[in-house]
Amino acid sequence: MQIAFYLSGLVAILATLRVVTGTHPVHALLYLIVSLIAVAMVFFALGAPFAGALEIIVYAGAIMVLFVFVVMMLNLGESAVEQERAWLQPKAWVGPAVLTAVLLIVMIVTLVSGDYSGTISGETLTAKMVGISLFGPYLVIVELAAMLLLAALVAASHLGRSDAHDEADLARDRQRELSEQAQASARPARETPIDASQDTRSTQEGKA
Amino acid sequence: MSHAAMMALMAISPLILVCLTVIVVMLSIAWKRNHTLNAIVTAVGLNVALLALLFGWSLGPVDVTSVLVVDDLSRFGAVLVLMSTLACVTLAHHYLEGYEGPRDEFYLLLLSAAAGGLVLVSARHMTTLFFGIELLSMPLFGMLAYTFRDRGALESGIKYMVLSAAATAFLLFGMALLYAVTGTLDFAELGEALSVSGNDPWLLAGAGMLLVGLAFKLSIVPFHLWTPDVYQGGPGPATTFLATASKVAVFLVLLRLFQSTLAFHENWWHDLLAVIAVITMLVGNLLALTQNDLKRLLGYSSIAHFGYLLVALVVNEGLAVETVGVYLVTYVLTTLGAFGVVTLVSSPYVATGGTADASPLHHYRGLFWRRPYLTAVMTVSMLSLAGIPFTAGFIGKFYIIAVGVEAHRWWLVGSVVVGSAIGLYYYLRVMVTLFLHEPGMQRRDARHDWAERAGGMVVLGVATLIILLGLYPTPMIDWVSWVAGS
Repeated sequence: MQIAFYLSGLVAILATLRVVTGTHPVHALLYLIVSLIAVAMVFFALGAPFAGALEIIVYAGAIMVLFVFVVMMLNLGESAVEQERAWLQPKAWVGPAVLTAVLLIVMIVTLVSGDYSGTISGETLTAKMVGISLFGPYLVIVELAAMLLLAALVAASHLGRSDAHDEADLARDRQRELSEQAQASARPARETPIDASQDTRSTQEGKA
Repeated sequence: MSHAAMMALMAISPLILVCLTVIVVMLSIAWKRNHTLNAIVTAVGLNVALLALLFGWSLGPVDVTSVLVVDDLSRFGAVLVLMSTLACVTLAHHYLEGYEGPRDEFYLLLLSAAAGGLVLVSARHMTTLFFGIELLSMPLFGMLAYTFRDRGALESGIKYMVLSAAATAFLLFGMALLYAVTGTLDFAELGEALSVSGNDPWLLAGAGMLLVGLAFKLSIVPFHLWTPDVYQGGPGPATTFLATASKVAVFLVLLRLFQSTLAFHENWWHDLLAVIAVITMLVGNLLALTQNDLKRLLGYSSIAHFGYLLVALVVNEGLAVETVGVYLVTYVLTTLGAFGVVTLVSSPYVATGGTADASPLHHYRGLFWRRPYLTAVMTVSMLSLAGIPFTAGFIGKFYIIAVGVEAHRWWLVGSVVVGSAIGLYYYLRVMVTLFLHEPGMQRRDARHDWAERAGGMVVLGVATLIILLGLYPTPMIDWVSWVAGS
């Protein structure tokens, strides 16, 4: 299984490299899918088929297809390609490339030095075992992950709120205020002017 | 249900109650968008959690599964986190009244972040550390960029998010390295592995990366670059939370790491940390000197304060835990006072498109002649930040110097003294500005009824506490030494 591990690891790295260097978003995303499948292979090679299958189903399957659809819908044209190409000048990537080359040398040296004491082995992790550990010792973590997703969702839904939505909400609020005013005006006439003056003042403050 | 499971549930009931409040507030928003109602529900939930925490104190240390431990230290941290969150709720209610968009989501985010803080203070496993930090930071992105039509707020949210993601990457990489070598993520077991093979390069790299990730959250030099911008741009209540609850929770988990995992036996680690502490104190104080913006100034001053706190971690013996406790209590009170006044002067929110809050120092010129009591609160906070006697800040600083002297760390003690001397200059400059003659046109001012609102009362209470604890610190010291001793 060692050869599979290293081969798929290499594929994952090369594919991810093409994700970063690709100027066309759809091509880049296709490479990203290849990369994720290669990572899934790494999981299989390590004896964790469940994690590998999840990687394919969730990442390569669901999320990436969504990405591809969104990118296709955004319909980025030639200008985006030109911009990406302009960003990919040597001065932009030489530094990071050197740094990663250092990391590569570290890996090669480790391989050449022949210290293979940490070989890949071990028992197969099944879905049942994953489930038992998720809902046994790590139950709290599962619940916390749910809270984390909720918080991220609330933050995203607030920040991603478009102006059109806001306008609609405000318009609805104004309409409700107006209808409340209409109801108030049905009450004794003495109260109405105060209400109206307060309302105009609050809207003015808001605009300021 | 078994007895142990019942104990565990009771021990983490504050966390459960805060999470439950998130759900209740969410349902309440779905039912009706009522700003005051949601703020009250949030405050009630936090108070109930606080009560559950105080009643649970008699349970003693409880292990909740293998990833959380609720002991006196974590309850102490939880009290600080919940108290500062409550203060933020009251401030946010006043502040958000001027916000035109939806206001209620802020409380959801605040509660989620508080839950993250509660997890963090009881973490004893790398997974809870990671999820706690993320649960603390993720809502903070939303809170800092809450008034996202202001460029300042948006900038601060994005800056915090991007740099925080980088720090999280460091944290995860460090954990992965530690796990690869030792095969465990438990703090205590990691500590044993580190004490056996402490000089393994991968272990050292992992521990170093872990420290980098946490140092970013505490804005320790050289990972402090985000602090002034984020402090300046973020809305008042969000910055208050970032400066108090978030920092306290991360520092307490760092303390727990130092007690178990990173209890290094090599001297050079301590020396390295001592150098970082000295640099943090000096850089924070020196950069604050030239600031003309109160929120940036407070940001730099918080960098310096965490430099002082690092002294206790460097020593890590004797009075260290007690010192951390006392200093955190005084720091939280003082910061709540200072940021509370900033938030009250900036309340209610007014959209400007740039930086919404009253952060430039000239907005505070002559505040004394308009709002004498608010100025008194600010003055007390500034004196306490500077560590003047008869304020709570003095007690904290006294402990820091005592712990440094006890361990014969003269360089550290010297830097604390020099840092405090530099600090005095810019804190006094803020105070002078408050009492200067009013300029012809006044820009920003607190509402006339600020003292009758919950936020105003909290700020006044905080100022009173700062002075009370400065004059009679015995109850606080007894409490903290009891927490540290058990």
